[in-house]
Amino acid sequence: MPTRQSQVSRRLPRRGFLNTALSTAGAAVLAPTVIPGSALGLDGAVAPSERIVVGGIGIGNRGTYDLGCFLEQKDVQFAAVCDIKESRRTAVQKIANEKYGNENCKTYRDFRELLDRQDIDAVLIATGPNWHATAAMAAAKAGKDMYCEKPCTKNISQSLILAETMRRTGRVFQAGTQRRNLPHFAFACALARTGKLGAMKKVFAHPAGMQSMMSGWLIPEPAPNPDAVDWDMYLGPAAWRPFNAKLLDGFNFEKGGGLVGGGVLEWGSHCVDLCQWALGDVPPPVEYNAPKDGQLVARYENGVELIFRETGWIPLGSCPVRFEGETGWVEAGDSGKLVLSSPALLAGRTVEEIGGYPATYHVRDFLDCVKTRGKPKGNADAACNAHIACHAANIALHLGRKVQYDLHKHEFINDQQANRLRSEALREPWRL
Amino acid sequence: MRMRVYGRCSGLCCGVMLGTAAFLLADTVRWAHAQGPSPEREQKQIAVLRSNAPGAEKAIACKQLAIEGSSEAVPELAKLLADPQLASWARIALEAIPGPAADESLRKATDSLAGVLLVGTINSIGVRRDPGAVEILVKRLRDQDVSVASAAAVALGQIGNPAAAAALRKSLPMASATGSPVLASAVAEGCVLCAERLLSAGKSADAAAIYDDVRRAKLPQQRIVEATRGAILAKQSAGIPILLEQLRSPEKELFNIALVTLRELPGGEVDAAMVAEIQKTPPERAALMIQAMADRPKTAGLLPALIAQAQRGPKPVRLAALNALSRVGDASCFVPLLEIGRQGDPELAQAAMQSIADLPGEAVNAAIVAKLATPEGQRDPLVIEVIGRRGIVATAALLPSLEHPEPRVRSAALTALGETVELAELPVLIATVVAAKHPEDAQVAEKALKSASVRMPDREACATALASAVERSPSVPTQVVLLQIVGAVGGTKALETVGAAAKKKDPLLQDACSRLLGEWMTVDAAPVLLDLSKTAEGEKYQVRAQRGYIRIARQFVLPEKERAEMCRQALAVSSQTAEKKLVLEILKRYPNLDSLTIAINAIGSADVKDEATEAARAIGGKLSNSAEAKALLTKAGIN
Repeated sequence: MPTRQSQVSRRLPRRGFLNTALSTAGAAVLAPTVIPGSALGLDGAVAPSERIVVGGIGIGNRGTYDLGCFLEQKDVQFAAVCDIKESRRTAVQKIANEKYGNENCKTYRDFRELLDRQDIDAVLIATGPNWHATAAMAAAKAGKDMYCEKPCTKNISQSLILAETMRRTGRVFQAGTQRRNLPHFAFACALARTGKLGAMKKVFAHPAGMQSMMSGWLIPEPAPNPDAVDWDMYLGPAAWRPFNAKLLDGFNFEKGGGLVGGGVLEWGSHCVDLCQWALGDVPPPVEYNAPKDGQLVARYENGVELIFRETGWIPLGSCPVRFEGETGWVEAGDSGKLVLSSPALLAGRTVEEIGGYPATYHVRDFLDCVKTRGKPKGNADAACNAHIACHAANIALHLGRKVQYDLHKHEFINDQQANRLRSEALREPWRL
Repeated sequence: MRMRVYGRCSGLCCGVMLGTAAFLLADTVRWAHAQGPSPEREQKQIAVLRSNAPGAEKAIACKQLAIEGSSEAVPELAKLLADPQLASWARIALEAIPGPAADESLRKATDSLAGVLLVGTINSIGVRRDPGAVEILVKRLRDQDVSVASAAAVALGQIGNPAAAAALRKSLPMASATGSPVLASAVAEGCVLCAERLLSAGKSADAAAIYDDVRRAKLPQQRIVEATRGAILAKQSAGIPILLEQLRSPEKELFNIALVTLRELPGGEVDAAMVAEIQKTPPERAALMIQAMADRPKTAGLLPALIAQAQRGPKPVRLAALNALSRVGDASCFVPLLEIGRQGDPELAQAAMQSIADLPGEAVNAAIVAKLATPEGQRDPLVIEVIGRRGIVATAALLPSLEHPEPRVRSAALTALGETVELAELPVLIATVVAAKHPEDAQVAEKALKSASVRMPDREACATALASAVERSPSVPTQVVLLQIVGAVGGTKALETVGAAAKKKDPLLQDACSRLLGEWMTVDAAPVLLDLSKTAEGEKYQVRAQRGYIRIARQFVLPEKERAEMCRQALAVSSQTAEKKLVLEILKRYPNLDSLTIAINAIGSADVKDEATEAARAIGGKLSNSAEAKALLTKAGIN
């Protein structure tokens, strides 16, 4: 039976961690690029030297879907997988090896060893939300580009540091906000952004459940063998708590020390992100009201309202958004369809209808930017602004009252309680 | 052991209760927070920390203190910094509580802690940016434990004041020489963080000096990459030589960071330097540089160089230049791009046409219209094509091209009209669809008419014009084409037209119109579909109409009563078991007393007796608080 002590992280960074990844610049020049020979040139479509070598971190259900999108790309070589669960490691390894017809996909329990590999150019981060920001920052500092699932951050401070870190390190970051690369959502956002709806008045986002709560401890259960399930690494930067299987697989469980985002983060990180894009990737709203009648109304600096609402949508599928201007409106959802206030808004264009929110286009956008070093659609600055809007709304929801946000100081105005919810300490030894 | 740790109760129920308590607590506190901080609540949380309460309760108490604790709570929180389970919870509070007491407690804890707990405490000092901790952290730079020394280095970088920066710069050579890339990397990270802070404060010379220190040190490449970017941005135009050096570097990562920095570095001198540089650069790199140049927020003097790159040279560079022109070009690019559009390589031609379509500025439209006004413009499919692609309304100028003997010219004109024509000129396209002078134009004309129709602002007027054409057309296939376009337009007149056509005798019309109605996007199609469910000729079309009707009941936003009534009607007209089952599924999806009554009544249909019973039971389960629902179920003999 595990003792209290044995369940607590005593682990320092692995001895070998970064010893290769952080080998000196001079040494890196001399070191050959390590790509397993049998993994290269399978179909001859893309020269091995042109391939982007990708590793996966935390590849469960969503990650496996994302991985499929990566494997479709001929210029990708998926070379390694890290997961705290042995069953997932071996399952993903099998997928990759079957795809390439070899045995070259390596498995890791500790993502730092994966980041240590010189041959890996980019990583897919699809852990639970607890790990997203911390793993992304570690990847950037190790010189990797990354596609990171959402919600990307746990609080406002992480959102700001994420954007700063990506700028400072020059890494390519793509948030898993794949709707930015779907034509009907892009068209709807462009209508709003380019003034086709007149001066913007309101944008609507679907939060899919406005709730916020503290995540505490559950009944301790015997911790599994770390080779099978590494609980300590699963907790990672989250405040400590004993093993409980319910926490391991809970879809909406975000292992922070306390405040949990719920639908505002889970779904809002898509819908609010689209609203932000529709307004021109603006800074987040400056005022967030307490929820009332199933709506939470936020207001941008220019007076435009961002409205989180649960109901009242035209049935266009999940993740609906609606943009209202002085002269027109548009609503879109995951069915791939648009509804417009006037057909004239199409202005001669045919908008391709792609339902089911596939991530393929978003992954392609990311890979293109890895090559060009341009900014992908879900770049860190955009993700930062959208996530701040979600976190601030969540704070208003949690406190049950209006909060006002200073965009220059990045703090709530005269509201110490709200300000204290902007960040949260990470469990030792993790830092951003 | 567990009993001692987790509280006074034992066994499974205790854990469940603790978990539940943790979540419920949040609701209570949310209500309380609406009224602002409370010293009484703080004292209660402090009392929890002082007590023998289970760790779970102390953990949540720490979080509450993070929101509303004061210096009063600091001593109890500080005691937990040495507790392996609760240290992280205590730091959540100590990082958040303002004032010197929390800083002091963290500083003091560094005297006695070691290993990961010390690392965590130092991390918190860094997050709080405590200038009073610089001396402590500087000493820790020499700690035997690399993880502690590394944490101290990053924390100093986060503090970023002159003392921290000086200490980090001083220790950089030493850290590089230790042979520990982890420590060297952390010290360099700290240095770069200091430099970033100086740069954003406008102290670019001081920042540049630190970046240069890092660039010269023996360090992991990613740190060099970051310092290189910083040095270029800090030095502005004086950083251009460093930028060029990276663009010529054999190392991919340095070339890559140059591409990133090129996008960020402002000033016309950068554009000029890049124009000169791309001439000397290998094509693969030149193409990437051109893309980066076009991404710059402001550019100056690029166009002649980009046009030249688009006109000749290696194909990847030409494609990159064409793409760049689409973003930064102007009217002066139109003619050169048109010429490239005429050239043999389809990929280049397509890129050139796309570039013209995207060229920014109204002056581009004027240049294209002027070209169309010339005799050669009127017979040039490319000129006509870009009229459509840019949405330029030039109907009168396009009409003569419809008579041109060349099919390519007529096709381009029809497509362009489809994308630009207004309601008054819609009959031109209708006439071509109804009676094309050239049979090969029919398909293009249909597509053009649809494109035009679906974007008409007055869709009722548009549908009226199309309906009139349906009436006039003697050909049933043409009527079907027009009706499909009417269906795409939508609206009241369109529904009326398609509904009427569905009831005509012709099987082609029945088939096409029942399909259109089955996919209608507004609720007002429901009565039309219900009528067809009963009156359409042939079971096939009746069933199709029933399905369309059921689809509306299932998918659309409707008042509960209306949806229930639709379900009742659907069951009444459904002749097939499959459709009845679909209706029962809808009833389950929207549970209320009406849906329960309808489900119970459906038990009388022998073919869906089991499904109806199951639906009634499911609805009843969701209405478990309703006495009326219970009564209905009891009366129906359902438990």
